[in-house]
Amino acid sequence: MENSRETGSTNDGAASSQNANYYDIDDILAEEELVPVVFYKSANGVKVDPTAEKDCVEKGAKVELPFWLAQELYLRQAVSLSIPTCFNQNTRREIQADAACVDLKSRCPYFYEFGCKIAPLVGDRTIGKMLLSTFQMRYKEILTKAHTTVYAPASKSLAVLTKEEISLHEAARSSMAAFKKWRIGGPRFQRASVLGRKRKPTE
Amino acid sequence: MSAGFCFSKENMHGRRACRLIKEFNSGEKGQLNHFNEELLNEVAKECSENFLVLQSLIRKMQEEGLDFQTTRNADHYGALINHLSLIRNKRCLMAYVYNRAEMIQNLAWTVGLRLFELPEEIQEKLSHPEKEYFKKHSSALESYMSKVDLDLNDMVPPKDPYIKVRVLDDVGEGIVVSDKAANFARHSMHFLKRTDAELYISRGLMEELTG
Repeated sequence: MENSRETGSTNDGAASSQNANYYDIDDILAEEELVPVVFYKSANGVKVDPTAEKDCVEKGAKVELPFWLAQELYLRQAVSLSIPTCFNQNTRREIQADAACVDLKSRCPYFYEFGCKIAPLVGDRTIGKMLLSTFQMRYKEILTKAHTTVYAPASKSLAVLTKEEISLHEAARSSMAAFKKWRIGGPRFQRASVLGRKRKPTE
Repeated sequence: MSAGFCFSKENMHGRRACRLIKEFNSGEKGQLNHFNEELLNEVAKECSENFLVLQSLIRKMQEEGLDFQTTRNADHYGALINHLSLIRNKRCLMAYVYNRAEMIQNLAWTVGLRLFELPEEIQEKLSHPEKEYFKKHSSALESYMSKVDLDLNDMVPPKDPYIKVRVLDDVGEGIVVSDKAANFARHSMHFLKRTDAELYISRGLMEELTG
């Protein structure tokens, strides 16, 4: 993980850790999550403070920046970070009560990924443990439901899942469906999935 | 001190790029959306704006006689934020084009090697360069397959080496299939080796009977 480096040092460390996921849509969107920051320095010619009259930001301004910007500014000691709201005490208390029921999707659809990115920066060692225990508690529930519930895309249990959890749920469902198909047998040639679901011809 | 909590304003750095990525990600998984040339160009324009501001800030520092490598003033941080925004916008643009290109390659593998074989609703979602890309990928794939003499698109293993076929056209007599001569009259039905029949099926002279 990256530590704070000299101000104005090159971008190599951040770039190499990011390169593997450079084209990854989910990684891009996870880095779009907002982080509350306070500016230590002022900056000209930027549009980051919606309350400022001109295109600049003053020293001491409190704004929310997307992670991709907040991280780099933090590493150059231009801003201080605070813990994003989705990892605050309220959320943690709810998770402790019953992790499976907490609506993580509305809090942050990239809860785990974002948590992993933010944890080394804010210096809060409890975030990692919290992420792990949250995932462990929810994982069991996700798999059980994936195998038992009837498919309903807008079902209530799916609405609280993060992006990663939804992929897990779908992976479980599709492997179950593939297993059933293998047992029963069925058409071997299938319409390419990129074409979408086949619409019924109109009469 | 302000308690401004909205980075969501449209003119904020990187907002348009994020909208482009979100749009790519919306809809059913694995489905192509329309190529959003307008938004793509807006993001590219934002990159140029970032660059112009960056340049003007560095010029300003140089005019003030400051060393822009070491000075850490408001202009430096302004330039830095514009630089980071430019890199971010570039990443979003690249990811948009790259991920679409992957899906377009996939079309050649799963749907068909000719553009006209793709359903119209998919064709109209592609931009002109994407159509060119599809054609080039297909022809590369095709020339490779003809070199190794193997149809790589046929990834479903045969269940049975023999299939039942019906002759659609007058194939003519005297055809020897696997050292066994048969009378392939029109509408006659035969039980052939799949490998023997494939050629005639693909030419439209026979059809496979299932069930």
